[in-house]
Amino acid sequence: MTSRRVLVVAALVLALLPLGLPLFAMTLAIEALILGLFAMSLDLMVGYTRLFSFGHAAAYGLGAYAAGNLLLHTDIPVVFAVLLAGAFSGIVAIGIGWVCTLATGISFSMLTLAIAQLLYAVAFKWTPVTGASDGLAGIPRTPGPFGLTWFQSKIGFYYLVLACLVAAFMFCRSLVASPFGAVLRGIRENEAKTQSLGYNTRRYKIAVVAIAYALGGLAGALYAAFAGFTNTELLFWLLSGQVLIMVIIGGAGTLVGPIIGAIFFLLVQQYLSSYTESWALFFGLIFIFFVVCVPRGLLGLVSGRRAGGTV
Amino acid sequence: MALLEIDGLTRRFGGLVAVDEVSMRVAEGEVRAVIGPNGAGKSTLFHLITGVLKPTAGEVRFADERTTGLSAHRICQRGVSRTFQLTALFPEMTARENARLAAQARGARRWQPYGGDAIFAAADRRGDAALERLGLTDVAHRPAGLLSHGDQRLLEVAMGLAQQPRLLLLDEPTQGLSVEETAQAVDTLASLLADGGLTVLLVEHDMEVVFRLAHRITVLHRGAVIADDVPAAVRADPAVQDAYLGGIE
Repeated sequence: MTSRRVLVVAALVLALLPLGLPLFAMTLAIEALILGLFAMSLDLMVGYTRLFSFGHAAAYGLGAYAAGNLLLHTDIPVVFAVLLAGAFSGIVAIGIGWVCTLATGISFSMLTLAIAQLLYAVAFKWTPVTGASDGLAGIPRTPGPFGLTWFQSKIGFYYLVLACLVAAFMFCRSLVASPFGAVLRGIRENEAKTQSLGYNTRRYKIAVVAIAYALGGLAGALYAAFAGFTNTELLFWLLSGQVLIMVIIGGAGTLVGPIIGAIFFLLVQQYLSSYTESWALFFGLIFIFFVVCVPRGLLGLVSGRRAGGTV
Repeated sequence: MALLEIDGLTRRFGGLVAVDEVSMRVAEGEVRAVIGPNGAGKSTLFHLITGVLKPTAGEVRFADERTTGLSAHRICQRGVSRTFQLTALFPEMTARENARLAAQARGARRWQPYGGDAIFAAADRRGDAALERLGLTDVAHRPAGLLSHGDQRLLEVAMGLAQQPRLLLLDEPTQGLSVEETAQAVDTLASLLADGGLTVLLVEHDMEVVFRLAHRITVLHRGAVIADDVPAAVRADPAVQDAYLGGIE
């Protein structure tokens, strides 16, 4: 139960963070938690099912644009809007998952990339919904329900993001330890055998894609509500690559690892970009170092836990 | 009535007829071996029965229902479990987890995305019983990938057994084992089958294994059935000796 204790301490530290950080640093903290949620959602596919998505920005962008439209054109409170946007992303992902799981291995990855790039192209053309290259601007954090306004402030919104992350984490933790999660693990280790045991592996894969997209969509929706704008960058392959890097650096096959990976990515990006514009070059070197020397990621480095642990 | 009925089953790969109008019946409780030289079509026949391959012609009926054309997982859900010629396990999971995942597939709530203690406990009961029947209790907590090759072969059988199948298909259970390992594995299988209650279809090319385990033998040669009888009669059959046994004994 030591791992549970560590998690509780980590959650407490995150909950008390606003007391110790200056307000401008809270922007970074909110982005880190949002990206942590995003990376964790991808790891359900990459780490737990060995489904390498090269297009997870699709989830983020779908959630962001859905939330943007809900908040701009309806009176739905931001709390519900982000949840609805996540659900929307998950539902769309059933179709995406259906198409992508027609293939396996590298072809699966290419299909996820192709669909994300397709959505990126659509976002450029579908002006009424996406604002094309201008994106959606002035997205409000609509108050409510019951006149609640606390998440309109930066600190308040931080707690909304933290609540989403903790809830998603607990959901994922339960998921990967459930009978459903056991089948995902079987697919990861030997899909043909899993199928011959009587599991409809394709349906499981579509289901995990939908769940990953729903949580990734929630992350994108939180970002849209926080930043107050969306643009096509949120659907771009660069973001898909970055979130994959966060998962791998943090530790694929764990839930905490990708969150740590996202925080690490953001901090290093902040630090390096204050020195040089070509920070991505140096980050690339760091990534190569991790792939070669720390294949289990930061979490593996800290805990020595073997890959495939449930947390 | 036979549990498994195969009629005119044919599978072509281009110009090659791998399985050629095979018909056979396997009765409930029977241990049936399918033998034949390499390339006789034994594994293809298995793939056709389990839905991994679709037949070019003919049909398979299981428990009086047509299963031809169903996908592999559906056929398994109807009670047909199998092992593979090349060991197929989940190497990073323990032997017990392997058996549990096999047993869990038979439960109605195998999709449940939360909790699952009761489901796992029920699956473990069946899995542990299967491991015990194959003498694997002592290695149950070791990762499957680290077991000896002989234990890995038996673990696959245990996984099939944990599913409480109506028909168990064993694809060369002693494939790749040393002489001693084979003897041990066959002893274990013999005592398992002696308990009765299992309907087994067995592909094997080790003759001693076949004559020791099988109640009845079907001989395939170039995809077609050339004999289908009790072991003693098959051994005495001149056509079989000509095609197969003669070359070995």
